[in-house]
Parts: sequence; C-alpha cells; structure tokens
Amino acid sequence: MSENTLNLGFSAPSASGDERITYEDVLRAQDRLKVLKSRAAKSSLRLLWLLAGPGVLVMLGENDGPSMVSYATTGATYGIGFFVPFILLTFLMAFVVQEMTVRLGAATHRGHAELIFQRFGPFWGYFAMGDLVFGNLLTLVTEFIAIQAGGLYFGVPSWASVTIGVALVIVSLTFRRYATWERVLMGLAVFNLLFIPAALYAHPDGAALSRALAAWGPLPGGFTLAFLTLILANVGATVTPWMIFFQQSAVVDKGMTRADVPQGRTDTAIGAILAAIAAVATLVAAAPLFAAKVDVSTFANGADFATALVPLIGSTGATLFALGILEAGLVAAMTISTSSSYALAETMSAAEKAPARHSLNLDFAHGRLFYGVAIASTVLAAGIVLIPGAPLLAMTLTVNVIATLLMAPALLLLLLLANDTEIMGDLANGRWANLAGGTTVVAIAVVGALYGVITAFPNLLPK
Amino acid sequence: MAYDPALVSALEPDQLVAATKRPYPRRKLSRGVLALLVVLRVFIVIAVPIVIYAFVHALLVPQ
Repeated sequence: MSENTLNLGFSAPSASGDERITYEDVLRAQDRLKVLKSRAAKSSLRLLWLLAGPGVLVMLGENDGPSMVSYATTGATYGIGFFVPFILLTFLMAFVVQEMTVRLGAATHRGHAELIFQRFGPFWGYFAMGDLVFGNLLTLVTEFIAIQAGGLYFGVPSWASVTIGVALVIVSLTFRRYATWERVLMGLAVFNLLFIPAALYAHPDGAALSRALAAWGPLPGGFTLAFLTLILANVGATVTPWMIFFQQSAVVDKGMTRADVPQGRTDTAIGAILAAIAAVATLVAAAPLFAAKVDVSTFANGADFATALVPLIGSTGATLFALGILEAGLVAAMTISTSSSYALAETMSAAEKAPARHSLNLDFAHGRLFYGVAIASTVLAAGIVLIPGAPLLAMTLTVNVIATLLMAPALLLLLLLANDTEIMGDLANGRWANLAGGTTVVAIAVVGALYGVITAFPNLLPK
Repeated sequence: MAYDPALVSALEPDQLVAATKRPYPRRKLSRGVLALLVVLRVFIVIAVPIVIYAFVHALLVPQ
C-alpha cells in the first residue's frame, strides 16, 4: 500500500489457525501462489495467462445477444463503411473505462458497489445497486430471448432451449471456485469468435474494408435519425454499467494486486480487441443483407438474421451466425447474473444489513445470498421469456433506456473513485488518464442520455 | 480453520476477507464534487420518470 492511502490497520496473519482466515482466503491464496511463482520465474506469458480473465470475460460478455443484433442491424442497414472504424472506436472507449476498474479493484480490494456505498454513502450505494440489479434482470430477459431465438433456428422448442440455458447458468455456479468458473466461461466465450468464419462465408471485400477503415466511409443516406439511432445503439452495445461492476468485483475475487495492474490492462486490451473483431465480423456477416436490399426493420432477434442470411452466405455461414447468437446470450447470462450477485451482496455487506459475502470461492452455506441472487434472477428472467404474451418488446426497449440513461451516474461515480487518491494512492488517475477517461465518460454519458431520450420518445426528432 | 501460513502469506494483508470487511470511511467531498452529485441527483429525478414512461409506453405497443 502506498504512503498516501488510507491505513485501515490490518496486519498480516501470524500463525496457523488464525480465526480471521477463511476458506475463501485459502482458495485465493492458492491462486496467488501460482502468480507469485510465475512472477519470480519471470515467466511473462504464464503470468499473463494466470492473470487474464476479468477483461476478456467482460468484453466478450458484453458482445451479448442484443449487441450482436445491433451490429447485424448496422451491417444490414449500412453495409461495410463508416461503422467499421466506429465500432473499433467504441471498443477503445470501453477499454478506457474498464481499465479504471482494474486499478480500482487492485488498489482497494473492494467491489465497485461496496466502494460507492462506503465512499459516497447509502443513497448512492443503494441507487447504484438497485439500478444495476433491475437493469440486469431486464437484460437477462433479452439474453434468454437470444438463447430462445438461437434454439428456434435449430428447431429446438423455446421451453427446451431456455431450460437448458438456465441449467447451464446454475451449473456454472456450482464450481464454488472463482478460477474454475472463470476458465470455463473463457472457454465458452471463445465461441463469440464464431462470427469470424460466418463473416468469411460472406466473402467480404478486403479493399472495401480497408477503405472503410481509412476513410470512415461510405455512409449511404447521410446523417439521418436511423443513423443517429445506430450510432447510439452501437455505443450502448459496447459500454454498459454491469461491465464496470463486474470487472472490478472479478479483479477483487481473482485476488489481483497493484503489481498485477499491467497484466490486468493487457487482459482488458486483449478482450477489447477480440470483442471488436467479433463485432466487426458480425457487421460484415450481415452486410450481404444490405447489398440484397433486405428490409430488416421487422427483424425481432438474431435468428431472423440467420434465416435471412441462408440464401446469401449459405447454410453453414448462417448456422455459425445462429450458434454465435446462442453463445452470446448464454455467456452474457452467466456474467450478468454474477454481476448482480456481486453488487447486491457487496451493498448488503457494506450496509451491514446482512452477513453477506461475495465471492465465487464461497460454498453455498456461506454464499446463500450471493448465489441466490444469480439463480433467482436467472430463473425469473427465463420464466418471463416463457410466459405467453409477456411484454418482451417493452422490456427490451426499457433495457436500452435504463442502460443508457443511467450510464451517466455510473461513469461519473467511476471517474470520481478513480481520482480518489486516499484509496487509490499512486494508481489514481493522472492527467492523461483523466483526459482520456473524462472525454470518454462525457461522450458516452451524453450519447447515452440522448439514446435514452430518443428511445423513450421516438417521435421527438423528425424522421 | 487450519491452514498453511506460508500459503496464506501469498495474499497481501489488506486482501484477506477479514481486512476487506473494514469499511473505508466516507469521503470528504469538495464543493465541486458535492455540486456534481447534486446535478446527478437532479439528472436521476428526470431520468427515472423517463424510464417508467418508456416501459409503460412500450407496454401499450402491440407485440
């Protein structure tokens, strides 16, 4: 701990049998020992492998069902052009935001929700948690819509695909070991890259891609409301509140320290690059719909895109696309439900309302609230999707409004915490970090608020 | 619980669960930060009804 950080007066355990040591500590220590050995052996690649996870998971997790539909809509509406470099820019913004959570977690060993509660008081603590958990529940509904849609493409009935999805989320929580949970999810998240071969089946024009990257164009139709909406939707598809809470909590649960920040940054950068490639691949895979002038305005989910792509990129490409949508919904359901668990248990713990612990290293007896939140929100969201006539469209629209309108408070609280030298010490934002972070935060907050308003009041602007 | 002290020493002292249960004190907020938080509260007072309106309005749209 650096000299100018708060000293909470805790000393190292001195002997075996210290009652302050929990089983969670022991499991985390086992992981840390591997990290310390790798660092001592100067094995950079193994060190990066051991410390990678939160960044890759958060970035690929945010490439979720609705996000992939946004990218596909963009490709089908505008083809290969302006949005290719724009999507890359949004992931750069995501990296700037998420890098702050790595430093916060490593410096404080506190999750984002408990840090907000402790440093800014109960109002902001409860607000941030309530906003997140409610928004996450609605987002989970949209993930199960993606799982359901992906299943329907393969002829699997809705009840079966949704039930399998719930079962897989619950099974992922039974590991009771953060490291195992993380590696299993990383293995699943790799399938987000299925959009790359799907894009190759679309036979993209390399020269057109190069021109798009170099010239930020073409932009057919110019600046219209549809263009503005897709700009805002693509930003909303890349940076969302759950990512901030999830990555900081995962960094803490993984046991990362100040010494691990460089690897945490690299992990986040790798995640951003992989997710950006998958996002652009989704746009490219859907671009033949633009060339064929297919009207996608009535498409409700990813399966509609996959079905429409069959005659254009072939059944193999379309199947890969549908599998990608399934994976996107499933991995996001696992990470987002865990994000709710962390936030709610951290807030209850900070408020001393319940002996709530918050770690994937907990057994069920000690983590009833933690695991209960993830399981309950998953089952509830899946149940809603299966209710005949449930207002799924209303929920999807509300998710967009909540996530984007309330992004401003989440980002500003993040920026304030990252500048809090009492807890951050020498990891607090410097001038350049504040310039990059501040610019990104203001841009996303303004864009998010605008998107929220346009979604809520679609007739506000002329068509 | 019984454990190997050498193993647990792989954790930094302030990383232990018992240490993380000690809360950080409330931050002393400067006037600028206080003003910012007031603006945020006003923003939320405006944003929450928009969210509710969006949901209710979307409910009325035929599925």
